[in-house]
Amino acid sequence: MKTTALFLLCATLALGAETPPAGKKDACCAAMAAAPFSAASLYQTDVTFTTDAGQPFALGALRGRPVVLAMFFTSCGYACPLIVSDMQAIREKLPAGIRERAAFVLVSFDTARDTPAALAAYRGQRGLDAQWTLLHGSNDAVRELAALLGVKYKQEADGAFSHSNLITILNPQGEIIHQRTGLQGGLDEAAAALAAAARN
Amino acid sequence: MNFLPSFRLGVLALSLLAGGSVAFARLDAKLVTIPAGVYTPLLRTTKDAAAVPVAAFLLDEKPVTNAEFLAFVTANPKWRRSQVSPLFADSSYLEHWAGDLEPGPKAPPGAPVVRVSWFAARAYARWLGQRLPTTAEWELAAAAGYTQPAGRTDEALQRDLYAWLARPVPAVLADATTARANYLGVRGLHGLVWEWVDDFNTAMVTGESRGDTGLERDLFCGAGTVGAKDPTDYAAFMRQALRSSLKANNTTTSLGFRCAKDLP
Repeated sequence: MKTTALFLLCATLALGAETPPAGKKDACCAAMAAAPFSAASLYQTDVTFTTDAGQPFALGALRGRPVVLAMFFTSCGYACPLIVSDMQAIREKLPAGIRERAAFVLVSFDTARDTPAALAAYRGQRGLDAQWTLLHGSNDAVRELAALLGVKYKQEADGAFSHSNLITILNPQGEIIHQRTGLQGGLDEAAAALAAAARN
Repeated sequence: MNFLPSFRLGVLALSLLAGGSVAFARLDAKLVTIPAGVYTPLLRTTKDAAAVPVAAFLLDEKPVTNAEFLAFVTANPKWRRSQVSPLFADSSYLEHWAGDLEPGPKAPPGAPVVRVSWFAARAYARWLGQRLPTTAEWELAAAAGYTQPAGRTDEALQRDLYAWLARPVPAVLADATTARANYLGVRGLHGLVWEWVDDFNTAMVTGESRGDTGLERDLFCGAGTVGAKDPTDYAAFMRQALRSSLKANNTTTSLGFRCAKDLP
Protein backbone atom coordinates (compact mmCIF):
# COMPACT_ATOMS: atom_id res chain seq x y z
CA MET A 1 0.00 0.00 0.00
CA LYS A 2 2.71 2.42 0.99
CA THR A 3 4.67 1.68 -2.16
CA THR A 4 1.71 2.65 -4.23
CA ALA A 5 1.35 5.69 -2.08
CA LEU A 6 4.89 6.74 -2.79
CA PHE A 7 4.39 6.25 -6.44
CA LEU A 8 1.38 8.51 -6.33
CA LEU A 9 3.29 11.02 -4.26
CA CYS A 10 5.99 11.26 -6.87
CA ALA A 11 3.49 11.43 -9.66
CA THR A 12 1.79 14.23 -7.81
CA LEU A 13 5.00 16.16 -7.44
CA ALA A 14 5.95 15.60 -11.02
CA LEU A 15 2.63 16.96 -12.15
CA GLY A 16 3.14 19.98 -10.01
CA ALA A 17 -0.09 19.31 -8.20
CA GLU A 18 1.41 20.19 -4.86
CA THR A 19 0.38 23.72 -4.18
CA PRO A 20 2.25 26.77 -2.89
CA PRO A 21 5.95 26.00 -2.38
CA ALA A 22 6.82 27.61 -5.65
CA GLY A 23 10.39 27.35 -6.76
CA LYS A 24 11.15 24.54 -4.37
CA LYS A 25 9.76 21.90 -6.64
CA ASP A 26 12.19 21.94 -9.50
CA ALA A 27 15.32 20.75 -7.76
CA CYS A 28 13.37 18.14 -5.88
CA CYS A 29 11.68 16.76 -8.95
CA ALA A 30 14.82 16.66 -11.02
CA ALA A 31 16.23 14.33 -8.41
CA MET A 32 13.00 12.38 -8.27
CA ALA A 33 12.71 11.95 -11.97
CA ALA A 34 14.39 8.54 -12.07
CA ALA A 35 12.32 6.49 -9.67
CA PRO A 36 10.46 7.07 -6.46
CA PHE A 37 12.48 7.24 -3.29
CA SER A 38 11.96 4.48 -0.77
CA ALA A 39 9.48 4.95 2.07
CA ALA A 40 12.24 5.69 4.58
CA SER A 41 14.36 7.84 2.31
CA LEU A 42 15.13 11.32 3.59
CA TYR A 43 15.28 12.37 -0.03
CA GLN A 44 11.49 12.54 -0.06
CA THR A 45 11.76 15.93 1.59
CA ASP A 46 11.09 18.82 -0.73
CA VAL A 47 13.27 21.32 1.11
CA THR A 48 16.30 22.57 -0.73
CA PHE A 49 19.60 24.10 0.30
CA THR A 50 22.33 26.25 -1.22
CA THR A 51 25.92 25.04 -1.54
CA ASP A 52 28.91 27.10 -0.53
CA ALA A 53 29.33 27.77 -4.24
CA GLY A 54 25.89 29.37 -4.27
CA GLN A 55 24.21 26.54 -6.18
CA PRO A 56 20.76 25.18 -5.26
CA PHE A 57 20.97 21.69 -3.81
CA ALA A 58 18.31 19.06 -3.19
CA LEU A 59 19.37 16.24 -0.87
CA GLY A 60 18.17 13.78 -3.51
CA ALA A 61 21.25 14.72 -5.51
CA LEU A 62 23.18 12.48 -3.09
CA ARG A 63 21.23 9.44 -4.20
CA GLY A 64 23.42 6.51 -5.13
CA ARG A 65 26.26 7.36 -2.78
CA PRO A 66 26.73 6.47 0.87
CA VAL A 67 26.60 9.66 2.91
CA VAL A 68 28.11 10.93 6.13
CA LEU A 69 26.02 13.89 7.25
CA ALA A 70 26.14 16.24 10.23
CA MET A 71 24.65 19.55 11.24
CA PHE A 72 26.99 22.19 12.64
CA PHE A 73 27.79 25.89 12.55
CA THR A 74 31.10 27.46 11.65
CA SER A 75 31.50 29.70 14.70
CA CYS A 76 31.02 26.76 17.05
CA GLY A 77 33.92 26.57 19.45
CA TYR A 78 33.33 23.28 21.17
CA ALA A 79 31.76 20.31 19.49
CA CYS A 80 31.56 21.17 15.80
CA PRO A 81 35.30 21.16 15.06
CA LEU A 82 35.39 17.71 16.66
CA ILE A 83 32.46 16.55 14.56
CA VAL A 84 34.22 17.57 11.36
CA SER A 85 37.42 15.85 12.54
CA ASP A 86 35.41 12.74 13.36
CA MET A 87 33.87 12.75 9.89
CA GLN A 88 37.39 12.93 8.48
CA ALA A 89 38.38 10.03 10.72
CA ILE A 90 35.41 8.00 9.47
CA ARG A 91 36.61 8.67 5.94
CA GLU A 92 40.07 7.32 6.76
CA LYS A 93 38.54 4.16 8.18
CA LEU A 94 36.64 3.37 4.98
CA PRO A 95 38.00 0.74 2.62
CA ALA A 96 39.51 2.08 -0.59
CA GLY A 97 36.93 2.02 -3.35
CA ILE A 98 34.19 3.01 -0.97
CA ARG A 99 36.10 5.92 0.53
CA GLU A 100 36.14 7.77 -2.77
CA ARG A 101 32.44 7.22 -3.43
CA ALA A 102 31.15 8.47 -0.11
CA ALA A 103 29.74 11.97 0.23
CA PHE A 104 30.46 14.11 3.29
CA VAL A 105 27.80 16.68 3.99
CA LEU A 106 27.73 19.52 6.54
CA VAL A 107 24.57 21.55 6.99
CA SER A 108 24.69 24.71 9.08
CA PHE A 109 22.23 25.64 11.84
CA ASP A 110 23.32 29.24 11.53
CA THR A 111 21.08 30.43 8.72
CA ALA A 112 21.99 34.08 9.33
CA ARG A 113 25.77 34.02 9.59
CA ASP A 114 26.74 30.88 7.69
CA THR A 115 26.08 32.27 4.24
CA PRO A 116 27.43 30.36 1.26
CA ALA A 117 30.46 32.69 1.35
CA ALA A 118 31.07 31.97 5.04
CA LEU A 119 30.82 28.26 4.34
CA ALA A 120 33.27 28.60 1.45
CA ALA A 121 35.72 30.28 3.81
CA TYR A 122 35.25 27.45 6.30
CA ARG A 123 35.91 24.92 3.54
CA GLY A 124 39.24 26.63 2.93
CA GLN A 125 40.21 26.76 6.59
CA ARG A 126 39.45 23.12 7.15
CA GLY A 127 40.88 21.99 3.83
CA LEU A 128 37.68 20.20 2.76
CA ASP A 129 37.87 18.98 -0.82
CA ALA A 130 35.17 18.41 -3.43
CA GLN A 131 34.03 15.26 -1.65
CA TRP A 132 32.51 17.57 0.95
CA THR A 133 29.24 19.39 0.44
CA LEU A 134 28.61 22.42 2.68
CA LEU A 135 25.03 23.58 2.81
CA HIS A 136 23.22 26.73 3.81
CA GLY A 137 19.44 26.66 4.17
CA SER A 138 16.45 28.73 5.21
CA ASN A 139 15.21 28.44 8.79
CA ASP A 140 12.43 26.27 7.44
CA ALA A 141 14.74 23.92 5.58
CA VAL A 142 17.15 23.56 8.50
CA ARG A 143 14.30 22.93 10.94
CA GLU A 144 12.89 20.23 8.66
CA LEU A 145 16.22 18.48 8.14
CA ALA A 146 16.84 18.53 11.89
CA ALA A 147 13.42 16.99 12.43
CA LEU A 148 14.17 14.27 9.89
CA LEU A 149 17.49 13.45 11.54
CA GLY A 150 16.20 13.74 15.11
CA VAL A 151 18.59 16.60 15.79
CA LYS A 152 17.49 19.06 18.47
CA TYR A 153 18.86 22.56 18.43
CA LYS A 154 18.24 25.99 19.80
CA GLN A 155 19.84 29.35 19.33
CA GLU A 156 21.08 30.82 22.59
CA ALA A 157 20.90 34.46 23.56
CA ASP A 158 24.57 34.88 22.59
CA GLY A 159 23.87 33.71 19.04
CA ALA A 160 25.54 30.32 19.42
CA PHE A 161 23.54 27.12 19.01
CA SER A 162 22.97 24.34 21.45
CA HIS A 163 22.52 21.20 19.41
CA SER A 164 22.60 17.43 19.42
CA ASN A 165 25.97 16.04 18.44
CA LEU A 166 25.01 13.57 15.81
CA ILE A 167 26.71 12.10 12.77
CA THR A 168 24.27 10.32 10.48
CA ILE A 169 25.11 7.64 7.92
CA LEU A 170 22.75 7.35 4.95
CA ASN A 171 22.73 4.44 2.55
CA PRO A 172 22.65 5.09 -1.21
CA GLN A 173 18.82 5.26 -1.04
CA GLY A 174 18.97 8.07 1.50
CA GLU A 175 17.79 5.98 4.44
CA ILE A 176 19.28 6.49 7.88
CA ILE A 177 21.22 3.32 8.66
CA HIS A 178 23.36 4.49 11.54
CA GLN A 179 23.74 7.45 13.87
CA ARG A 180 26.69 8.17 16.04
CA THR A 181 25.69 10.22 19.06
CA GLY A 182 27.96 12.17 21.35
CA LEU A 183 31.61 12.92 20.91
CA GLN A 184 33.27 9.75 22.18
CA GLY A 185 34.04 6.65 20.19
CA GLY A 186 31.69 5.06 17.74
CA LEU A 187 33.72 5.91 14.65
CA ASP A 188 34.57 2.32 13.75
CA GLU A 189 30.89 1.38 13.92
CA ALA A 190 29.94 4.35 11.74
CA ALA A 191 32.57 3.46 9.14
CA ALA A 192 31.53 -0.21 9.19
CA ALA A 193 27.86 0.70 8.72
CA LEU A 194 28.69 2.91 5.80
CA ALA A 195 30.93 0.33 4.17
CA ALA A 196 28.26 -2.37 4.53
CA ALA A 197 25.62 -0.11 3.00
CA ALA A 198 27.88 0.83 0.13
CA ARG A 199 28.49 -2.81 -0.77
CA ASN A 200 24.79 -3.64 -0.97
CA MET B 1 0.72 36.04 -3.20
CA ASN B 2 -1.59 36.78 -6.12
CA PHE B 3 -2.07 33.05 -6.68
CA LEU B 4 -4.17 32.83 -3.58
CA PRO B 5 -7.67 33.67 -4.79
CA SER B 6 -7.63 31.28 -7.73
CA PHE B 7 -5.83 28.69 -5.70
CA ARG B 8 -8.48 28.89 -3.02
CA LEU B 9 -11.22 28.52 -5.60
CA GLY B 10 -9.41 25.45 -6.84
CA VAL B 11 -9.42 24.01 -3.39
CA LEU B 12 -13.08 24.74 -3.09
CA ALA B 13 -13.78 23.02 -6.38
CA LEU B 14 -11.74 20.00 -5.36
CA SER B 15 -13.58 19.76 -2.09
CA LEU B 16 -16.90 19.87 -3.84
CA LEU B 17 -15.74 17.26 -6.30
CA ALA B 18 -14.81 15.04 -3.42
CA GLY B 19 -18.47 15.12 -2.60
CA GLY B 20 -17.92 16.48 0.85
CA SER B 21 -21.04 16.75 2.87
CA VAL B 22 -18.67 18.45 5.26
CA ALA B 23 -18.99 22.16 4.82
CA PHE B 24 -16.02 23.74 3.15
CA ALA B 25 -14.11 25.43 5.84
CA ARG B 26 -11.02 27.41 6.57
CA LEU B 27 -11.20 30.14 3.98
CA ASP B 28 -12.70 32.31 6.66
CA ALA B 29 -10.60 30.93 9.52
CA LYS B 30 -10.09 33.77 11.89
CA LEU B 31 -6.64 34.93 12.87
CA VAL B 32 -6.28 36.92 16.06
CA THR B 33 -3.57 39.54 16.52
CA ILE B 34 -1.37 38.69 19.47
CA PRO B 35 0.31 41.87 20.70
CA ALA B 36 4.08 41.93 21.19
CA GLY B 37 5.14 40.59 24.54
CA VAL B 38 7.77 38.77 26.49
CA TYR B 39 8.08 35.01 26.78
CA THR B 40 9.77 33.66 29.88
CA PRO B 41 11.17 30.23 29.03
CA LEU B 42 10.31 27.55 31.53
CA LEU B 43 13.69 25.90 31.27
CA ARG B 44 16.77 27.71 30.25
CA THR B 45 20.49 27.22 30.20
CA THR B 46 22.79 29.73 31.82
CA LYS B 47 23.33 31.21 28.37
CA ASP B 48 19.64 31.69 27.62
CA ALA B 49 17.91 35.00 28.03
CA ALA B 50 15.50 35.05 30.96
CA ALA B 51 13.00 36.93 28.85
CA VAL B 52 12.54 36.51 25.10
CA PRO B 53 10.86 39.41 23.31
CA VAL B 54 8.16 38.23 20.91
CA ALA B 55 6.98 40.47 18.06
CA ALA B 56 3.26 40.90 17.46
CA PHE B 57 1.87 38.16 15.18
CA LEU B 58 -1.33 36.53 13.98
CA LEU B 59 -2.59 33.29 15.50
CA ASP B 60 -5.56 31.07 14.62
CA GLU B 61 -8.50 31.77 16.88
CA LYS B 62 -8.94 28.02 17.30
CA PRO B 63 -7.09 24.83 16.45
CA VAL B 64 -7.37 23.45 12.91
CA THR B 65 -10.49 21.29 12.64
CA ASN B 66 -11.23 18.00 10.87
CA ALA B 67 -13.25 19.83 8.21
CA GLU B 68 -10.33 22.15 7.53
CA PHE B 69 -7.83 19.33 7.40
CA LEU B 70 -10.12 17.42 5.05
CA ALA B 71 -9.87 20.29 2.58
CA PHE B 72 -6.09 20.03 2.83
CA VAL B 73 -5.84 16.29 2.22
CA THR B 74 -8.39 16.59 -0.56
CA ALA B 75 -6.21 19.11 -2.34
CA ASN B 76 -2.92 17.38 -1.46
CA PRO B 77 -3.20 13.62 -2.03
CA LYS B 78 0.26 12.91 -0.63
CA TRP B 79 -1.09 13.83 2.81
CA ARG B 80 -4.00 11.38 2.69
CA ARG B 81 -3.83 8.59 5.23
CA SER B 82 -3.34 5.85 2.66
CA GLN B 83 -0.68 7.74 0.77
CA VAL B 84 1.42 9.55 3.33
CA SER B 85 5.04 8.45 3.60
CA PRO B 86 6.01 6.86 6.93
CA LEU B 87 8.90 9.30 6.93
CA PHE B 88 6.42 12.13 7.48
CA ALA B 89 3.68 10.49 9.56
CA ASP B 90 3.62 7.32 11.66
CA SER B 91 1.09 4.52 11.27
CA SER B 92 -1.58 6.10 13.49
CA TYR B 93 -1.86 9.22 11.31
CA LEU B 94 -5.58 10.11 11.08
CA GLU B 95 -6.32 6.61 12.26
CA HIS B 96 -9.64 7.67 13.79
CA TRP B 97 -10.95 8.96 10.46
CA ALA B 98 -13.41 6.67 8.70
CA GLY B 99 -11.53 6.95 5.42
CA ASP B 100 -9.03 8.94 3.41
CA LEU B 101 -11.56 11.68 2.66
CA GLU B 102 -14.11 10.83 5.28
CA PRO B 103 -13.49 11.99 8.85
CA GLY B 104 -16.53 10.07 10.08
CA PRO B 105 -18.23 9.93 13.48
CA LYS B 106 -15.06 9.93 15.58
CA ALA B 107 -13.85 13.13 13.95
CA PRO B 108 -16.69 15.68 13.84
CA PRO B 109 -16.13 18.51 11.34
CA GLY B 110 -15.74 21.19 13.99
CA ALA B 111 -13.52 19.25 16.37
CA PRO B 112 -9.76 19.80 16.35
CA VAL B 113 -7.92 17.47 14.02
CA VAL B 114 -5.56 15.19 15.95
CA ARG B 115 -3.25 12.31 15.03
CA VAL B 116 -1.34 14.62 12.75
CA SER B 117 2.43 14.79 12.57
CA TRP B 118 4.59 17.90 12.72
CA PHE B 119 5.39 17.44 9.04
CA ALA B 120 1.69 17.31 8.17
CA ALA B 121 0.86 20.30 10.35
CA ARG B 122 3.63 22.28 8.73
CA ALA B 123 2.57 21.28 5.25
CA TYR B 124 -0.98 22.38 6.05
CA ALA B 125 0.20 25.78 7.26
CA ARG B 126 2.44 26.23 4.25
CA TRP B 127 -0.44 25.36 1.96
CA LEU B 128 -2.29 28.38 3.34
CA GLY B 129 0.75 30.64 3.21
CA GLN B 130 1.00 30.39 6.97
CA ARG B 131 3.30 28.66 9.44
CA LEU B 132 3.22 27.01 12.84
CA PRO B 133 3.72 29.28 15.84
CA THR B 134 7.07 29.12 17.62
CA THR B 135 7.20 27.91 21.20
CA ALA B 136 7.68 31.52 22.34
CA GLU B 137 4.66 32.70 20.35
CA TRP B 138 2.43 29.86 21.49
CA GLU B 139 3.38 30.24 25.12
CA LEU B 140 2.92 34.01 24.96
CA ALA B 141 -0.63 33.63 23.63
CA ALA B 142 -1.35 30.83 26.11
CA ALA B 143 -0.13 32.88 29.07
CA ALA B 144 -3.28 35.03 28.97
CA GLY B 145 -6.15 34.34 31.34
CA TYR B 146 -9.85 34.39 30.50
CA THR B 147 -10.52 37.81 31.91
CA GLN B 148 -7.07 39.17 32.63
CA PRO B 149 -3.73 39.34 30.84
CA ALA B 150 -2.00 36.90 33.19
CA GLY B 151 -3.40 33.39 33.14
CA ARG B 152 -1.30 32.23 36.06
CA THR B 153 -3.41 34.36 38.39
CA ASP B 154 -6.73 33.64 36.66
CA GLU B 155 -8.31 31.07 38.94
CA ALA B 156 -11.01 30.00 36.51
CA LEU B 157 -8.46 29.29 33.81
CA GLN B 158 -6.15 27.42 36.16
CA ARG B 159 -9.06 25.32 37.39
CA ASP B 160 -10.14 24.42 33.84
CA LEU B 161 -6.58 23.69 32.81
CA TYR B 162 -5.86 21.30 35.64
CA ALA B 163 -9.26 19.66 35.34
CA TRP B 164 -8.41 18.99 31.70
CA LEU B 165 -5.00 17.56 32.54
CA ALA B 166 -6.67 15.20 35.00
CA ARG B 167 -9.26 13.95 32.47
CA PRO B 168 -8.57 11.18 29.98
CA VAL B 169 -8.76 12.15 26.33
CA PRO B 170 -12.41 11.78 25.22
CA ALA B 171 -13.12 9.35 22.41
CA VAL B 172 -14.67 12.16 20.38
CA LEU B 173 -13.31 15.65 20.86
CA ALA B 174 -15.58 18.65 21.40
CA ASP B 175 -16.14 21.33 18.80
CA ALA B 176 -13.27 23.81 18.85
CA THR B 177 -15.63 26.75 19.09
CA THR B 178 -16.93 25.50 22.45
CA ALA B 179 -13.62 26.34 24.09
CA ARG B 180 -13.79 29.56 26.06
CA ALA B 181 -11.85 32.42 24.46
CA ASN B 182 -9.00 33.86 26.46
CA TYR B 183 -8.25 37.51 27.12
CA LEU B 184 -6.70 37.83 23.65
CA GLY B 185 -9.67 36.19 21.93
CA VAL B 186 -7.94 32.86 21.31
CA ARG B 187 -9.82 29.61 21.99
CA GLY B 188 -8.65 26.23 23.13
CA LEU B 189 -4.99 26.85 23.88
CA HIS B 190 -5.69 25.06 27.13
CA GLY B 191 -8.22 22.35 27.69
CA LEU B 192 -8.84 21.02 24.20
CA VAL B 193 -5.77 19.35 22.68
CA TRP B 194 -2.01 19.64 22.85
CA GLU B 195 -0.58 21.55 19.93
CA TRP B 196 2.51 21.30 17.75
CA VAL B 197 4.88 24.26 17.63
CA ASP B 198 7.31 24.85 14.81
CA ASP B 199 10.41 24.57 16.99
CA PHE B 200 9.27 21.64 19.12
CA ASN B 201 12.70 20.14 18.60
CA THR B 202 14.51 22.77 20.62
CA ALA B 203 13.94 20.92 23.86
CA MET B 204 17.37 19.75 24.95
CA VAL B 205 16.32 16.69 26.79
CA THR B 206 17.63 13.23 26.09
CA GLY B 207 15.24 10.43 25.36
CA GLU B 208 15.69 8.65 28.61
CA SER B 209 14.64 9.99 31.98
CA ARG B 210 17.69 8.56 33.69
CA GLY B 211 19.88 10.65 31.44
CA ASP B 212 17.93 13.85 31.84
CA THR B 213 18.88 14.96 35.29
CA GLY B 214 22.24 16.21 34.14
CA LEU B 215 22.20 17.00 30.46
CA GLU B 216 25.05 15.07 29.03
CA ARG B 217 27.68 17.44 27.88
CA ASP B 218 28.73 15.23 25.02
CA LEU B 219 25.29 14.76 23.57
CA PHE B 220 24.43 18.42 23.39
CA CYS B 221 26.86 21.14 22.56
CA GLY B 222 26.24 24.04 24.94
CA ALA B 223 24.31 22.02 27.46
CA GLY B 224 24.90 24.16 30.48
CA THR B 225 23.08 24.38 33.74
CA VAL B 226 19.37 24.20 33.27
CA GLY B 227 16.99 25.71 35.74
CA ALA B 228 13.24 26.16 35.74
CA LYS B 229 11.79 29.62 36.18
CA ASP B 230 8.68 28.51 37.97
CA PRO B 231 8.67 24.98 39.32
CA THR B 232 4.98 25.28 40.26
CA ASP B 233 3.90 25.72 36.63
CA TYR B 234 3.07 22.05 36.26
CA ALA B 235 1.18 22.48 32.98
CA ALA B 236 4.17 24.17 31.39
CA PHE B 237 6.32 21.22 32.45
CA MET B 238 3.81 18.90 30.84
CA ARG B 239 4.02 20.83 27.57
CA GLN B 240 7.80 20.90 27.71
CA ALA B 241 7.92 17.19 28.45
CA LEU B 242 5.54 16.40 25.60
CA ARG B 243 7.48 18.48 23.08
CA SER B 244 10.77 16.95 24.08
CA SER B 245 9.37 13.44 23.77
CA LEU B 246 8.03 13.85 20.26
CA LYS B 247 9.51 12.91 16.96
CA ALA B 248 8.39 14.91 13.97
CA ASN B 249 6.45 12.03 12.41
CA ASN B 250 4.62 11.11 15.63
CA THR B 251 0.87 11.40 15.91
CA THR B 252 -1.26 11.09 19.05
CA THR B 253 -4.94 11.13 19.98
CA SER B 254 -4.66 14.50 21.72
CA LEU B 255 -2.13 16.38 19.61
CA GLY B 256 -3.34 18.91 17.05
CA PHE B 257 -2.12 22.30 15.89
CA ARG B 258 -3.05 25.79 14.83
CA CYS B 259 -1.42 28.15 12.38
CA ALA B 260 0.27 31.51 12.79
CA LYS B 261 1.34 34.22 10.45
CA ASP B 262 3.54 37.28 10.52
CA LEU B 263 1.69 40.56 10.65
CA PRO B 264 1.54 42.12 7.20
